[in-house]
Amino acid sequence: MIRRARIPAPEDFTASSHSPLVAARLGLWLGVAFGLCFGTGLLSHYIQHPPGWFSWPTRPVNLYRITQGVHVLSGVAAIPLLLAKLWSVYPRLFVRPPVRQPIRLSAHALERISVLVLVCAAFFELVTGLFNVAQSYPWGFFFPTAHYAVAWLVAGAVLLHVAVKLPVARAALKTPLRRNAPVAAMTPGSDDSVERRAFLRTSAGVAGIAVLATAGVTVPWLRRVSPLAWRSAAGPQGVPINRTAAAARIVVPPHWRLEIVWPGGRRTVSLPELAALPPRTAHLPIACVEGWSASAHWTGVPVVQLLRWAGAPTGRPVRFTSLETEGLYAASTLPAAHASDPLTLLALRINGEQLSPDHGYPCRLIAPSRPGVLQTKWVARLEVWR
Amino acid sequence: MRAVRLLLFVLGAAATAYGGWLLLPQLGTALPWLIGGPALHDALVAPLVGLVGLALGRLVTDRRRRAWIAAGLLASATLLLIAVPLLWRPPSAPPNPGLPDRDYPLGLAVGLAVVWAAIAIVLVVATAVDRRVTHRRSDSR
Ligand code: HEM
Repeated sequence: MIRRARIPAPEDFTASSHSPLVAARLGLWLGVAFGLCFGTGLLSHYIQHPPGWFSWPTRPVNLYRITQGVHVLSGVAAIPLLLAKLWSVYPRLFVRPPVRQPIRLSAHALERISVLVLVCAAFFELVTGLFNVAQSYPWGFFFPTAHYAVAWLVAGAVLLHVAVKLPVARAALKTPLRRNAPVAAMTPGSDDSVERRAFLRTSAGVAGIAVLATAGVTVPWLRRVSPLAWRSAAGPQGVPINRTAAAARIVVPPHWRLEIVWPGGRRTVSLPELAALPPRTAHLPIACVEGWSASAHWTGVPVVQLLRWAGAPTGRPVRFTSLETEGLYAASTLPAAHASDPLTLLALRINGEQLSPDHGYPCRLIAPSRPGVLQTKWVARLEVWR
Repeated sequence: MRAVRLLLFVLGAAATAYGGWLLLPQLGTALPWLIGGPALHDALVAPLVGLVGLALGRLVTDRRRRAWIAAGLLASATLLLIAVPLLWRPPSAPPNPGLPDRDYPLGLAVGLAVVWAAIAIVLVVATAVDRRVTHRRSDSR
């Protein structure tokens, strides 16, 4: 049989996975995965750029580690789910527009545009996120702002998509996949329901495999299991390093003194004086925005004690400035809640050793439940705000 | 349902507009990366998946075996996709010697080996079970 090559029509696709029953279920799972991504991503954004109404708890100390781990892992799970969903609805790409009916045609065009935005944005988030965790930036835009902006595009486009598909989706989700036995017995032979369930099971299973293959970046008991975790938990002195002292062009002056300033006062403190203050050791994670995390025993002076010793007011936000002169993370502002927490340390030691230059010698900030980029290293100055 | 859909429309349009407004300053550089995914998928990946599916249908006639092999192919493709940014590192990555600290080619190879070993085991077991079932049937005849 010879057929002329032509653009396929939706009816040409006969596999049983091309069905609203499958698309709606995969859509629901994708909605959950992207929803988790959006929620945790928004949290991470607000922690780094807090609006006035926002506050973030300091306990549990692993809170940010968990939310950001959920963020990257639900993104990883969404990769096979997105591909499965697009496979399921691929025939709909070839739906012919109702050219003779202007009103239906414009509705069709609007829906197509919203679906295009949805798919573009969904791919963009997964691809750029995946490259970012590998610390690879083969593009011209600034990743954090672009990833944040497109997250709103995904969220909005998903809502529009659900608004359009709600009747189909509800009917599909109400229809059980498993046909009841009498019906199945009457029509033996090709059983679509078996294949549909197999397709869905495979999609979910592969999403699970993808998570298992990467979750070791942040789940301790999976460290040795995940072959594609992008980071090990090991590194100099037991913790990985994102930015080295050389990359940040750090030169510690020979007579380094920490400067503490507050409205109406100023005091400086030398390294031996800092080391002589009553120390405290805390087990806290470095939890990176890229989803990896690793815990260590940090020893140093609680920031709240240091401020009291200096005679500075407490219970206020504190700005930490690094010896690093340029770069986005040369300074960070510790919210009042974190600045008052007795576990927030100006650390001098890590796992029993003096901080190495790459870990922030002479001293670094380590606070519970915060992104790693805000744990300022090579601290030079503390400024208590009013 | 009408009210729910209307609400979804309004919220969705607002969020989409907000995202577009946020993206505007970077739209030029981001556009190829926005269009790239669907373009590659619709023109290349999906037809390729269809062809592989057709070929698999011809080569493996047993439905259960075919499902397992398809699952192995999907899992492999997903692992490969996840590994791309780890294996292919253009020079724009910041010059920091401490960054890529694991053996990613080895990790990918191990992941694929585990997936296919598991599927091989499933197929062997399924074959053995099938054989026993047919034996028993012919015995009882
Ligand atoms: C990021 C998330 C999602 C993406 C990328 C996505 C993508 C798509 C695409 C490209 C289509 C084909 C559009 C068309 O019919 O022309 C589609 C159809 C559909 N989607 Fe989604 N979707 C997502 C989430 C959802 C959610 C949350 C639901 C609701 C449960 C859902 C339910 C459906 C339904 C019922 C169809 C119609 C299938 C058919 O008529 O054959 N989707 N989706």
